[in-house]
Formats: sequence, structure tokens, C-alpha cells
Amino acid sequence: MTLLALRGLSRRYAGLTAVDRVDLDVPAQGVHAVIGPNGAGKTTLFNLISGLVAPSAGTIALDGRDVTRLAADARARLGLARTFQAVRLFADMTVLENALTGLHPRLRSSLAAIVLRTRGFRREERNAVARARDALAMVGLERRGGERAAALSYGEARRLEIARAMAGAPRLLLLDEPAAGLNPAETVTLGTLVRSIVDAGTTVLLVEHDMKFVMGLSDSVTVLNFGRRIFHGTPAEARADPAVIEAYLGAKVAARLQGSAHA
Amino acid sequence: MSVPPWLSDLFWTYQNVVVSLGVNGLLALSMYVVLAAGQLSLGQAAFMGLGAYASALLTLRLHAPFWAVLPAAMLVPVAFALLVGGPTLRLAGVYLAIATIGLGEVLRAVYLNVDALGGALGLSGIPEAAPLWLIYALLAAALLVFWRIGRSRVGRAMEAMRSDETAALAMGVNVRRYRLATLVASAALAGLAGALSAHSTDFIGPNDYGFEPAVSILSFALLGGIGSPIAPVVGAVVLTLLPELMRGFAELRLILNGVVIVLAVLFLPRGLVAWRMRRRAA
Ligand SMILES: Nc1ncnc2c1ncn2[C@@H]1O[C@H](COP(=O)(O)OP(=O)(O)OP(=O)(O)O)[C@@H](O)[C@H]1O
Ligand SMILES: [Mg+2]
Repeated sequence: MTLLALRGLSRRYAGLTAVDRVDLDVPAQGVHAVIGPNGAGKTTLFNLISGLVAPSAGTIALDGRDVTRLAADARARLGLARTFQAVRLFADMTVLENALTGLHPRLRSSLAAIVLRTRGFRREERNAVARARDALAMVGLERRGGERAAALSYGEARRLEIARAMAGAPRLLLLDEPAAGLNPAETVTLGTLVRSIVDAGTTVLLVEHDMKFVMGLSDSVTVLNFGRRIFHGTPAEARADPAVIEAYLGAKVAARLQGSAHA
Repeated sequence: MSVPPWLSDLFWTYQNVVVSLGVNGLLALSMYVVLAAGQLSLGQAAFMGLGAYASALLTLRLHAPFWAVLPAAMLVPVAFALLVGGPTLRLAGVYLAIATIGLGEVLRAVYLNVDALGGALGLSGIPEAAPLWLIYALLAAALLVFWRIGRSRVGRAMEAMRSDETAALAMGVNVRRYRLATLVASAALAGLAGALSAHSTDFIGPNDYGFEPAVSILSFALLGGIGSPIAPVVGAVVLTLLPELMRGFAELRLILNGVVIVLAVLFLPRGLVAWRMRRRAA
């Protein structure tokens, strides 16, 4: 079953096409990577999918429903969550409150119930706090709930961003370079975390430069270059594909590699 | 038996300050609710003026009972908030501030030039129908409501959008709806404060709701802070009492407000009451 379907998706900026007629089908399970050199359009693609940037052309369907015209917050309410390449936490809020905002679409108490502090509202808040704590536990931050988000280290902040996105149990999670700036040990932990996210039933779309991380984790790989999709297949196929090697290493190096292979 | 003039003087002075404290507390909360959602409105005085004029006209011209006047004093500024907010809230940040300054200036010109609205003379003979207890009961109720809302998904969403609007959108916060709702709540509260103050003073004029009071109301929240609903009310109390303690320097009021804003921004970025309330109810 296809969870996310992109058709001819494009985004033009003055003088440049950041995303150029991209087609992509993401099935409703597993980890799917989008890779490509710097400036290939990966973040723009994520912004298009999450609704933060409007497409110049093309369509986006989530779970068979056309969401191309839907605002970002409405898409989030349909079960689409994301993290950002540069961490964007709510700095003054506590770690637990950050995780709680991830549950925002799931909380239904009316303003009247909130003001009257009805039994239903208090129960909902208790459940929300329990779920937010579960999300924090998943990323190893269960003991830091009361601290300001700004007090976290870089690696912890990245993990909190994932917990915040996961608190609402989304269908699709977009991770934009989650391993960037992490040390090798933290990267291994992150891999385990992504696995457990997938096991919990959330599909992951992953942008990442760390090839070892991508290849070890992904079920499929899509390669972008200059906004265009130049490859889609398994990690093993990606490694052997001349166009992918060329995009990453430049034409000259690729030619030499192939030359030496033939010699 | 006659009351000595000095005693009666003292009473009236005291009475005015007590009314002002309550009314300014409500105005501070009306400022708080927009700032808490990450917006800047300079229209609080304009909304207050709409409430004051609407209520005074209903009382003077239609002899409407006071209890019926209060809801109208909230609805009229709400209608204007929707009018100004609807289009500007699509646009980011500073447009709301500009549009609300514009609203205040336009309304001042209207009050001044429309004879039916009293013109330059304003409206006088407004009965002092607002009981003191009511002003304070409404202030306490508004505090309680904002306190409770602050400790719920709504308070979290508001702080989230103030902190990072893009991330809040990605979390599913309907930022536009929150912007409009907070502006509407703010206008209703300011209108209520306007009606209460108009019905405590007997006279209102076109210059009572211009740019200067708009800046004063902003300075309540800047001085007090917005970490909790109590903070801006503390700011209002300080800035209402300070000029009373410096009687004779009444002309310095605007300068004092300016100095307070500058000092607060430079040295107290979180306000006098820097404490931040917890944003959950469980
Ligand atoms: N708002 C914008 N205005 C103009 N150009 C933009 C804008 N956003 C992105 N671009 C351009 O679009 C291209 C793709 O950028 P994007 O951030 O999507 O690349 P990326 O693949 O995520 O790169 P990286 O690996 O460095 O994160 C770049 O050339 C970038 O400069
Ligand atoms: Mg990027």
C-alpha cells in the first residue's frame, strides 16, 4: 500500500529549480532514504511534503488523499510529522512540554472543559503526559522532562525533536539529516531508535549524508541531483549505479573508477 | 453633617486609582493574550475606545440597562478585530501592529468629526454604573480563565507558535486560527475594560484612546512580562501606582512609560515577574 505519492512535484525559485518533476511512491512501512549532494533539493522536497513550501507544479497524496492544497498544520493532523535539518525546539518550554506539543492534534478537550477543568479534561491531560513521557523514554530523555529544552546538549536536542514528532504516533515521519553532528556512538543509538520507530508502525522517510547509516537502515533509496530524481532502488543497487556514483563523486572521478574497473 | 473637603478629595483620588487598577489590569490581560501568541497589537486602546463609546452611546441614547451594555461593548471591538485581523493575520508579524495603529487613528478621527458621537466634546453625563466589585470580579475571572487555558494544549500551542511558528505548524497547530482567536479575545477584554472605565468616569473623549494609551497598555505587559497572566497585571499595578506616587509630575507620564519600555527591554527581557508558568494540568 502506498502511503505517500508524489507526482511531477516541482518547486522553482528565481533562476533555479530546487525540486524538478519528482515522482515518488513511499510504501506504508519501512525506512526510505532520500540522498543526494548538497543543494540537491532534499530539504525542499521535505518542505513540500510537509506543506511548509507550496509546489510550483505537481501533486502530493497522503494515504490516497490529495493534500497538495492542504496547509502544513492540517497535514500534521493527518499523521505527518517531521524534524528539521537545523533543530527547531521550543526553547523556553520544558522538555516534557515540547513532547506534549507533539500530541496537540490528538487532544480534543474544548475550551469550556479546559476552563472548568472537567474530569474529562484532566484525564486527557494525564494520558497526554503519560504518552509524552513514553516518547521521551524512547529517546532516553525520560529523566530530563522538567528541564528547559534550551538546556539540552546538541545530541539530546536532536533526540527531543524526534520524541516530539513521535509523541502523536504519526503515520509518516520525515527525518532531515538526523545523524548530522552526532558522534559514532550516538549514530549507532540513532539507528536503533529509527528501527524501533519503524517497528512501532511509523513509516520513515530519511534524508541523510552518512552513507553507512543510510545503507544499513533503508529499505529503498531515492537519489536526487539538481532537483531531479536520478535513481530509485535498493541500497545495494544504489551503490552500483553509475549515475549515483557520478552525482556523488563528479564525472571525472566516476570515469576513472569505471576505467580502473575495466583495466 | 458635612464631610471635610480634604477627606472627600482623598476619597475621590483613592476611588479613581482603585478603578484604574482594575481597568488597567484587564487591559494588561488583553495585551497579554496577543503577545502570548507571538503577535504585536497596538490596537488595545482602540478596542477599549470602541467598548467605551459603544457602551456610553447605548446608555445615553437608548437608556439600555448596564448588564445589556457590557456584551455590546465586547462585540463591537470584536467585529473590528475580525475586520482588521482577518486580512492582516495572513501576513506576518509587523502588519498587525501597523494595521492596529491605523485603526486607532481612524477611529479617533471618526469620534472627533461625527457629531452623533459627541465630536470634539466627547460624551458626558455617563452614569457611574460600574460597581467596583464587578470590575475586580471580572479581573479575577479573566486571570483564572487565562491561568487555566495557559496550562492546557491551548497554552502550549500559543507558546509554541510564539517560540517557533514553523515548528508549531509542523506540530499541527492551526496558527492562523489561534492568531485570530487571541486577537478576538483581546478585543473583547479591552472593550469590556473600556465600558467599565467609561461607566466609572462620567466623561469620555476622542483623545482618550489614541496612541499614548496604546503604548501605556503595551508597557504594562513589557514591564510585567508574559511568563504567566499574573505578570502583566503586576506591570499594570506598578505603572498605575507609580505616577500616583509622583503626583505633580503627571506630564512626565509618557516619558516615564517610554523609559520603562526601554529599561524593560534592555534589562528585564522577561519582565518584573520572570517566572514562567507550567504548561500542563497534570
Ligand atoms: N527559499 C529559497 N529561496 C531560494 N533558493 C532556495 C530556497 N530554498 C532552497 N533554495 C535552493 O534550492 C536548492 C536546494 O536546496 P535544499 O536545501 O533543498 O538542498 P538540500 O538537498 O537539502 O541540501 P543540503 O544537503 O545542503 O541540506 C539549493 O540550491 C538552495 O540554494
Ligand atoms: Mg537539506
